[in-house]
Amino acid sequence: MEETYVLWYREMRKWLGRKPVVIISLFSPIFWILLFGKSFNPLNIVPEGVGELGELVRAKIIELFGTQDYFTYVAAGMTVAFALFQASFAGASALFDRRLGYMDRLLVTPVKRESIFAAKVLASVTRVVLLTSLLVAVSYLAGLQLKADFTLLDLLLALLTVAFISLMFSSIFMLAGFVMDNPEGLFAIGNLVNTPLLFASSVLFPTDQMPFWLRFIAELNPLSYGADLVRHFLVAKPMEDPYIVLLLFGVVSVAVFATSAKVAVKLMEK
Amino acid sequence: MENAVTAERLHKKFGEVVAVREVSFKIRRGELYALLGPNGAGKTTTLKMLSTLLKPTSGDAYVMGYSVLREAEKVRRVIGVVPQELTADDELTGYQNVYLQARLYGYSDAEARERTRKALETVGLTESASRRASTYSGGMRRKLEIAMSLVHDPPVIFLDEPTLGLDVQSRRAMWELIRQFKKEGRSMILTTHYMEEAEALADRVGIIDHGMLKAEGSPEELKGMLKWDKVYVELYRDEDADALAKEMRLAGLEARVDSSQVVVSMQGEEVLRKVIGLLNGRRVKSINIVKPNLEEVFLEITGRRLREESFDAFKQRVFMRKVR
Repeated sequence: MEETYVLWYREMRKWLGRKPVVIISLFSPIFWILLFGKSFNPLNIVPEGVGELGELVRAKIIELFGTQDYFTYVAAGMTVAFALFQASFAGASALFDRRLGYMDRLLVTPVKRESIFAAKVLASVTRVVLLTSLLVAVSYLAGLQLKADFTLLDLLLALLTVAFISLMFSSIFMLAGFVMDNPEGLFAIGNLVNTPLLFASSVLFPTDQMPFWLRFIAELNPLSYGADLVRHFLVAKPMEDPYIVLLLFGVVSVAVFATSAKVAVKLMEK
Repeated sequence: MENAVTAERLHKKFGEVVAVREVSFKIRRGELYALLGPNGAGKTTTLKMLSTLLKPTSGDAYVMGYSVLREAEKVRRVIGVVPQELTADDELTGYQNVYLQARLYGYSDAEARERTRKALETVGLTESASRRASTYSGGMRRKLEIAMSLVHDPPVIFLDEPTLGLDVQSRRAMWELIRQFKKEGRSMILTTHYMEEAEALADRVGIIDHGMLKAEGSPEELKGMLKWDKVYVELYRDEDADALAKEMRLAGLEARVDSSQVVVSMQGEEVLRKVIGLLNGRRVKSINIVKPNLEEVFLEITGRRLREESFDAFKQRVFMRKVR
């Protein structure tokens, strides 16, 4: 535990030493939600002053998206997509530590190999949770409509969902960072995974509106479950058995983490 | 358990390539043992097996009595490894780098602070401790590597090419540090392809080439294998070298050609006079008389010279650091 903390501290220290990067990493999700959320708002097509039509569209939005407006839908969903994007960079720290010899330095100390992997993944999760809190705050200022009976507990449950998504994907990408030797390849894999997972999910659009084949994929996509959970906790979008889904989500994430850790340890024992 | 390190038929294959071939040697407590050999000879691979970074394909080694195969974690507690690469974290200060290392060995915050202070003092980095490692010069970085590797006060130290790419002054400083560690009773293995380094520091030297340990002994013992001084004659016309060597052999001298220089063994008397007599009329670029040294021993044993790369690999590493 102690050594995991020390290694986690190193990662966090390095991250906080790059403050501009911390800020810049928030730009991308903010652009997404502003561009998509504001400009694709179906209410935009209704001419001003047409009260009745406006009411009709508004009712349809609530029916389709389960939120008061499209911005709220996208902003809540983007939290999990952001967790995925951030996770896809996680492996770089392992790759560079290996290339620059720092990993060998760690491996000749009595530190447990599991701790090396765990510290890196947990640091990635910590970063995402902190950044997501900021993202939610920015979204709120930009017009995210939280549910009426919103409490701090709801925020914590939403962040827990994001943490599970991050744990799952950080583990996988971290493992890639232990396997691969060139950073270009690592980032290519990140890109390969990110965009399809984003579009084939309920992050930007409800799955019920998709063609059946896409819907099939989207309903297997962890991002869809994550986005639905966050929306449920933050903006009260109706959902069946949210706590059971959250629990299963946690179990799967931890299982992915444990498996990745096992493989990574094997890779460290050359 | 009187040996610090015992290697027993260490063997490492990478795919089809044999990097280290059944190497065995012993290092006594408090001894400084140098593995001398050209690049790619298997020095680093041997060191990686001894420091538990690589598993031997066959054979085993014992460090302070612990098997690197079966008791890797115990081995890790008693060794300090100074790697060839510059591994310190650029984004952290010298102090933070050493402190984190101390914490990884399980020391409490207070003890880690104390050890960090001491380690930085030993290598002479106290004043630069609060600067980022990225601002350090090459020599300072090497010192930082040493501080990181010794913060847990290990009885056995592995140094992989500790002076590679250093200027003369930094190299002297590094030698002084190594001598100090020896005075403190630590056992050390040092890999190097600088024969002066092995000669200046080592109690015993193992000559390694193509993954095999070819000879072993104190520098004096190894030099004792070569009884005679050698005369190197360099002519202006390289083509003449073969003819000259032939004439010398006819005159009863032991002569051969090595990279277009004629090498004559100074055995017996009057060799020098005979050599000069045979030079008649040829345009001589240089004549050198060389006392037996490890370079000559290496040449004798392996048929090859030691000096090859040195700077390029180091530059490449420095470049790698900058890529981040």
